Amino acid sequence: MMLRCEYHVDADLRFLSNLDMMHLMERALRRARIPYALSEGFNPHLKMSLGTVLPVGLWGTREYFDLELKSPMKPEEFMSSLNAALPPAMGLNDVRVIENHSPALMKVINSAAYSFVMDTPTPVLEEVSRELLSASELIVRSRGKKKGQNKDLRGGILKIAVNQAQEFVIMELWVSTGEPVNVRYDELIELLEQHGINPSSLKDVYRSGNYILSNAAFSTPLEKVK
Amino acid sequence: MKDKLFREVLPRVSKPARYTGGEVNMIQKDWDQAEVKMVFAFPDVYEIGMSHIGGKILYGLINERTPHLMERSFAPWPDMEAVMREEGIPLYALESFRPLSDFDVVGFSLQYELSITNVLNMLDLAGIPLRSSDRNNDHPLIIAGGPVVFNPEPFAEFFDAFQVGDGEDMLPEFLDVVGRNRGDNRGELLLKLAAIEGVYIPALYEPAYNEDGTLQDIRPRGEGIPARVRKRVVKSLDEAYYPDAPIVPYMNIVHDRAVLEVMRGCQRGCRFCQAGMVYRPLRERSLGTLRKQAEQQLCSSGYEEISLASLSTLDYSGVDSLVRDLVKQYGDQGIGVSLPSLRVDAFSIDLANEVQKVRKTTLTLAPEAGSQRMRDIINKNVTEEQLLGAAEAAFKSGWLAVKLYFMIGLPYEEEADLDAILELLKKVREVGQRFSRRPVEIRASIACFVPKAHTPFQWQPMNSPEELEAKRRFMTRYRQKNIKLSFHDYRTSSLEGVIARGDRRLGAVIYQAWQEGCKFDGWSEYFSYDRWMEAFRRCDIEPDFYTEREKPRSERFAWDIINTGINRPYLWREAEKAKEAALTHDCRMEGCTGCGICPRFAVELDIKETDLLSVERETFILDEEPVD
Repeated sequence: MMLRCEYHVDADLRFLSNLDMMHLMERALRRARIPYALSEGFNPHLKMSLGTVLPVGLWGTREYFDLELKSPMKPEEFMSSLNAALPPAMGLNDVRVIENHSPALMKVINSAAYSFVMDTPTPVLEEVSRELLSASELIVRSRGKKKGQNKDLRGGILKIAVNQAQEFVIMELWVSTGEPVNVRYDELIELLEQHGINPSSLKDVYRSGNYILSNAAFSTPLEKVK
Repeated sequence: MKDKLFREVLPRVSKPARYTGGEVNMIQKDWDQAEVKMVFAFPDVYEIGMSHIGGKILYGLINERTPHLMERSFAPWPDMEAVMREEGIPLYALESFRPLSDFDVVGFSLQYELSITNVLNMLDLAGIPLRSSDRNNDHPLIIAGGPVVFNPEPFAEFFDAFQVGDGEDMLPEFLDVVGRNRGDNRGELLLKLAAIEGVYIPALYEPAYNEDGTLQDIRPRGEGIPARVRKRVVKSLDEAYYPDAPIVPYMNIVHDRAVLEVMRGCQRGCRFCQAGMVYRPLRERSLGTLRKQAEQQLCSSGYEEISLASLSTLDYSGVDSLVRDLVKQYGDQGIGVSLPSLRVDAFSIDLANEVQKVRKTTLTLAPEAGSQRMRDIINKNVTEEQLLGAAEAAFKSGWLAVKLYFMIGLPYEEEADLDAILELLKKVREVGQRFSRRPVEIRASIACFVPKAHTPFQWQPMNSPEELEAKRRFMTRYRQKNIKLSFHDYRTSSLEGVIARGDRRLGAVIYQAWQEGCKFDGWSEYFSYDRWMEAFRRCDIEPDFYTEREKPRSERFAWDIINTGINRPYLWREAEKAKEAALTHDCRMEGCTGCGICPRFAVELDIKETDLLSVERETFILDEEPVD
C-alpha cells in the first residue's frame, strides 16, 4: 500500500540536511510502529521517497513524501501515530492512499513557491512584482550547476503574489524547479536585492509549496491524487 | 537569544545542527522548579560528545531521578566560536539557551588528556574565570569526571572538584550537597564536598617537591581531609540507572545508534591498558536487564542499530545468547546489532558473521603487537595461531578487508618486534589470498604507546618523539602490495604522554598553550606541537622529565592521591613479569591474581551468565607498601 504525505517543517528544524531529514523520518516511523515495507536485498531499506530537497536553512509549510507499507493502515490512523512520534517542529498535514505504481514525486513536482517575509520594504512590492514579470531577462549569478555563471531566471518566474500581514509583507514567488530553468531560493534573494530590496528588511524565507504545473494550473501532489 | 541565533548566527556557520538542541527525547526541566542546575559540558564537538555513553547515563539520571536539572553544552567549532565572539554570544546550554554562567555546576567530561585546552576555551567563551582561585560564590562550580581524572593533578588549578570513578551514585550525592549548602562560601562548600567518596578537591591539597624535581608528597591542607581519594564504584549494574530514552540527534553523530552497556571493567590485565586497571572489578548486566533495555532504547529512539558496548564485549558471559536474541527479535524490522570491539579468535568471527549478514566490509582486530614475545610483555593473551585462525574464518565468510591495531614504542621493544608486525601483516595477507575469492586489503593502524598512570607501565620511560619517528621510518622502509600502514601522529602522542603522567606544575603550561591559541588539540588540523613546545619553554618546564625518565620503584607519583583499589605491589609485580615476558592469567579463569580491588573495596566480580567460576574464589592482596 502506498501513501502520499504532505508535511510541514517549522523554523526550528531549518538547519537539517536532506539526509538528516531522511533519518528523522525513518526513526519516527519506527517509534510510531508503522508497518513500513523494506526493500529486498542485502541492505534492506525503507521504501520512502521524498519530494524535492528542502535546502538547508529553509523551513517549509507543504513538503511531500511517498511511503510504501507492507500491511494496510488507515491514512487517519497513520497520520495520528506518526504525528505523535515526530518532533513538535514537524508534522503531517494530510495523507492519502495512492496507486502502487504512481510516478515518483521527484519526477512530477516541477515548481515551487518561496515566501519572502519582509518588514517595511522601501520599494512597493507590487511594483517590484510588475517589474519582474514584465522584464525580458532577469540575470543573476548561478548558485546551481554552473556556479558563478550568469543565469537568466525570467523563464522560471511563474507567478508572484504580495500579501500584507500584520507587521510584515510576504512576497510569494512561484518558480519552476525543472525545465525551463531550475530557480533556487538564494538566486531569488539576489534578484530581490537587485530590485531595491534591502537584505536587512528580509526577515525570513520559507518554502510555501511544491506543485505540479500543467496546463497553466498549479496543483499540489495531493490534489493530483484525487 | 535563540531567535538571534537562528536568524543571524547559525546561517553563517558550518553544521548548524550542532548548535540548535531540541532533539527527540531531549529533557528540558523547569528552571525555577529545579534545585541545582548543572550543565554537562563536553570539550569536543557535538557529534563526538553526543556519542559518549557516560553522558547519556548522567543526563537521564539527573533529570529523571533527582530534583536537579542537567543541560548540555559542547565545544563550538572554530567558525562558530569566531561568530560567537564577534556577536558577543556566550557559550550556552542547548536546552534553555542560557549561558553557562547561569548554572550552579558546570561538569566537564574528560575523555582525553589533550581536550583540556578546549575546556579552557569553553570557560573563556562562557565568561567564567579559568582558575579555581579566581572564582567565587557568584561563579558556577567547575568540576570534571571521566578516565582522565584518574590523574587529575595537571588540571588541578582549573577545577574546583573532580569526581573519580562511577558517577551514578556520586553525582546525585554531590548535587544534593551543593543544593543543601547554598548559603556557604566557596571554601566551606568545598570542605563538605570533600567528604563525599570519590570527590577530590585539589585546592585542599598541597604538593611538595624534592630537589631533583620529583614529587615528595601531596598533603591535605587541614584536618578531616582524606589523605587519598578512593574512586567510586557502582556494585551492581543491574541496579544502576540506565536511560530508557536516549536523545536522538538530528545530525549524523559518530556513534549514531542505540547502545547497551553490557558490562563495566575488564579482568584481562593487559599491562598497557589504563581502563582495564582503573575500572575494575568486572561487573556484568544480566541478559534479562539487557533485553529489557534494548526494547526500551529501540522503542523510544527508533534507531536502526543497537551496539553492545564495554571494554571487551566478546568477554561478556552472555554475549552469544544476547546477540542471537537481538538479531532474531529485531532483524526483520531492519534493525542491526553491532559489536564495537572483537576478540582475536574464531568465536568472535562467528558472532560477527551472525550480526553482519550483509555488507562485510572491514573487520577490525587488535593484536596490539607483532611478536609473541611482545604480546607476552604486554600480557595480551593472543597467539599468532588465534589471529590467523580469526583471519581465516573472516576471509572464508566473505570479509574483504581486515584492519589490525598495533602499538609501537612498547617497553623492551627491538627492531625484530617491529619487523614482526610487518611479517604478521604479510601472513594475514597470505591467509586472505588463500581463503578469499577476491583480492583482500590489509590495513594496520599503528599507535604510539603512551605509558599511563595506574598501570604496570607507569614506571616506564616513553619513547622520545625522535625514537618514535625513527621507528615509523624503519617500518615504512619498503612498501608491500595490499598492505596499508597508517601511523598516529607521534607528536600528539608525546604530548599526551607528558600530561598523562604529569603533575600540578603542568597547569601553567596548559594555560600558556591555550593563550598561544591551542585548541582542538585532538584534531590534526588544529594541533600545533610547536605552540605547545613554546609554552613549555616559556614556563621553563622540560616535557621529557615526565616521559623519558625511567622511574624508580619508590617514586611518588602525582596520581597516587587517587586510590583505584589496585595496589602498587601488584602493579610492580606485573611490571617485573613484563620484563620476563611472563603472562598473568585472567582472574575469571584461574582465580585471584591479587590486584586488590575486591577485598579493598568490598566488591566482587559480578558474572551473570556462566558458571565457569568453579575456581577458588578466595581473594588476596599483595603486601602493602607505605605509599598505599
